[in-house]
Amino acid sequence: MILEALEREGVEYIFGYPGGANLPIYQHLPEHPNLKHILVRHEQGAAHMADGYARASGKPGVVFATSGPGALNLVTGLCTAYMDSVPMIAITGQVVSTQVGRDAFQESDVIGATSSVTKHSYLVTRIDQLPRVIHEAFHIATTGRPGPVLIDICKDVQQADAERITPQYLDLPGYKLNGHVNLDQARQAAQALAGAERPVILAGHGVLLSHAERELMQLSEAAAAPVGTTLLGIGAFPVKHPLSLHMTGFMGTGWCLKAVQNADVLMMVGMRVDDRVTAKLSEFAPNVKTFIHVDIDESEMGKNVRPHIELVADARLALEAMLPHVGKVQADRGNWLAQIDEWREEHPLRYRHSNGQLQPQDVLIDMYRRAKSEAIVVADVGQNQIWAALWWNYDRPGLFINSGGSGTMGFALPAAIGAKFGRPDLPVWCVAGEGGFVMTAQELSVAVEHQLDVKIVLLNNFSLGMVRQFQDDFYGGVRSQVDLTHMPDFVKLCEAYGLPALRVEKFEDIAPSFDAAERTKGPFLIDFRIDPEANVYPIVPLGKGLNEFREAPEYA
Amino acid sequence: MLEMKPKPAAAPLPVKGKETRIRVLSLLVEDGQNTLTKVSGVIRRRGFHVRGISVGPSRQPGRSRITLQIDHGHAEADQVRKQLERLVEVVEVEDLTGDEVHSRELIVAKVAASELEALLQRGAKVLSTGPDGTTVEFSGDADEVGDFVNELARHGIVEVVRSGPVVMRRTE
Ligand SMILES: Cc1ncc(C[n+]2csc(CCOP(=O)(O)OP(=O)(O)O)c2C)c(N)n1
Ligand SMILES: [Mg+2]
Repeated sequence: MILEALEREGVEYIFGYPGGANLPIYQHLPEHPNLKHILVRHEQGAAHMADGYARASGKPGVVFATSGPGALNLVTGLCTAYMDSVPMIAITGQVVSTQVGRDAFQESDVIGATSSVTKHSYLVTRIDQLPRVIHEAFHIATTGRPGPVLIDICKDVQQADAERITPQYLDLPGYKLNGHVNLDQARQAAQALAGAERPVILAGHGVLLSHAERELMQLSEAAAAPVGTTLLGIGAFPVKHPLSLHMTGFMGTGWCLKAVQNADVLMMVGMRVDDRVTAKLSEFAPNVKTFIHVDIDESEMGKNVRPHIELVADARLALEAMLPHVGKVQADRGNWLAQIDEWREEHPLRYRHSNGQLQPQDVLIDMYRRAKSEAIVVADVGQNQIWAALWWNYDRPGLFINSGGSGTMGFALPAAIGAKFGRPDLPVWCVAGEGGFVMTAQELSVAVEHQLDVKIVLLNNFSLGMVRQFQDDFYGGVRSQVDLTHMPDFVKLCEAYGLPALRVEKFEDIAPSFDAAERTKGPFLIDFRIDPEANVYPIVPLGKGLNEFREAPEYA
Repeated sequence: MLEMKPKPAAAPLPVKGKETRIRVLSLLVEDGQNTLTKVSGVIRRRGFHVRGISVGPSRQPGRSRITLQIDHGHAEADQVRKQLERLVEVVEVEDLTGDEVHSRELIVAKVAASELEALLQRGAKVLSTGPDGTTVEFSGDADEVGDFVNELARHGIVEVVRSGPVVMRRTE
């Protein structure tokens, strides 16, 4: 009955792992050839695969795990999806309902352990609850602000015989959807933007989730307002557009941060305005007279920054409603844009290419040259993530996937695998540091088993690079527990897993290695031994305001 | 019901127009194994603090009424309501902070003394008498109940329990 319900919801892939408490489901799985089950090597991998699948395809990812340790292994993956508003359904087996509460074998309080990292959760103890619960779970996971929903199903319910209970009604009086727009506020927002001297728009993940990219561009152009994106909003606005400020936040571009700090009207769309975006809150955007906040989740209003005009609505509908009211734009907007161009020249993104060592930026630039904008990049967490965010010119939505809110190391490989299942038509690149990569490297087997065309770019700096950089710059230069010289030989590791791999140490070998990767069908890994001292710039020192960003030194 | 030691610090009820970190909320929630955990989970996770709570059935079958007095801590005051609204189990949240309300708390106390004139004058009702003391009940707003507890102390408290508040908006 569970499997039938999943078919009814249009599920194609399930990422899962069997065990005692979900065996009845697995017993019947072969009867449902439409449901393709991907056997992972660790449940965390399943959650990240479902996450990558959902972000790449726009459809909810589905995960199976058994009770106790199986379900608890999902927690990090659920949290990752929850923080980034990714639709996911996790179905976990629970001990027999009469055993619940008796500390039965592999019993754990999964609802209790996951409540704070799921949008909603259900414990199912009776078969008649099941069809409604599954239908509601998909509804909740995919509507409004999306998120993971967990369904914990007792083993006896999985085994119960039920007469087929068909199509389901929703019974969710407490589930409120903030869809529609307050037109009065939309007009006010549009007029504030048009009447501003120094407007800036910041776009977050919500713009991508509501497919508001076109409306964003129209609004930005109509109001001559430049647009920066958050790390998760990358792709919401083309980086090469003249009004693009590229990325904002404490590792954002210098010209974007200058624009934010000098803006008089700041509109924030589909974003949480968290500490990585504001840096020191009391110094965030100090010249703003009018904050406009658009988000579908009312609780984001005023959580961190108190807006003067708030629109609790779907981003696309809100921007659409604003468009007709932009009207005439403030006369000397040209000065503001010229000022931003000056900052763009004063504070360019730059890196060292002259010390004879392989630089990560060189690797990414070559990658971009090949991929154009026709590939998905899934990044892990750390320096590699920020390099991948800044050194690609994402100009289409949905091409950059990373764990922004939770910052989960080990995300990239399984998420890239999931993304490839979700978008088999697009090349998928996985960019990871060696530290994060080994946290979920066991999932290489899945890539090999399904001969997935996932190309893995390891930016190997022999250290927990981001932590090392923080220690160097903000913690007295004490390098403590960040050395990763004792790591496997990645080429041999790949050989053991059954995929081809190359090691690259010199600039000249970048291009041939990518050639080889592109020629090869199936997974491929390149171990780029990069400059271990390469850093991420710009960066705002912890606890400082955005205008105190530090830039890369001017290399000779 | 919250068990209380004598001399309780009554949560001050917010007064209209006066700065306070206490929000008074009335929630209509779906009955379910998980509802109270979810509500208290949000309160804990967002750094709020419960100062008073009472739970009871509502007029609608399958739904309960929760009355909460919550300290919103360093968060924006309205975050308590917004965060609770996000829960699927919560059907309705009414913010009564600063409104004209009837707010009642119930106290049941056992005192050693048999001379109860002062308590009865305040409106206490005798529930039972026995060789080891008299049990009385009293209800009132937070101040009245606080005063009543002080009065009780003079009568030798054996045991006392005090409920959280139930609050209803005044409509004249
Ligand atoms: C699961 C987890 N543990 C710890 C951290 C803290 N952390 C953030 S970046 C980082 C270093 C990552 O090293 P590596 O994967 O080699 O990437 P690099 O920064 O070197 O590119 C660490 C330890 C984290 N984000 N996630
Ligand atoms: Mg590293």
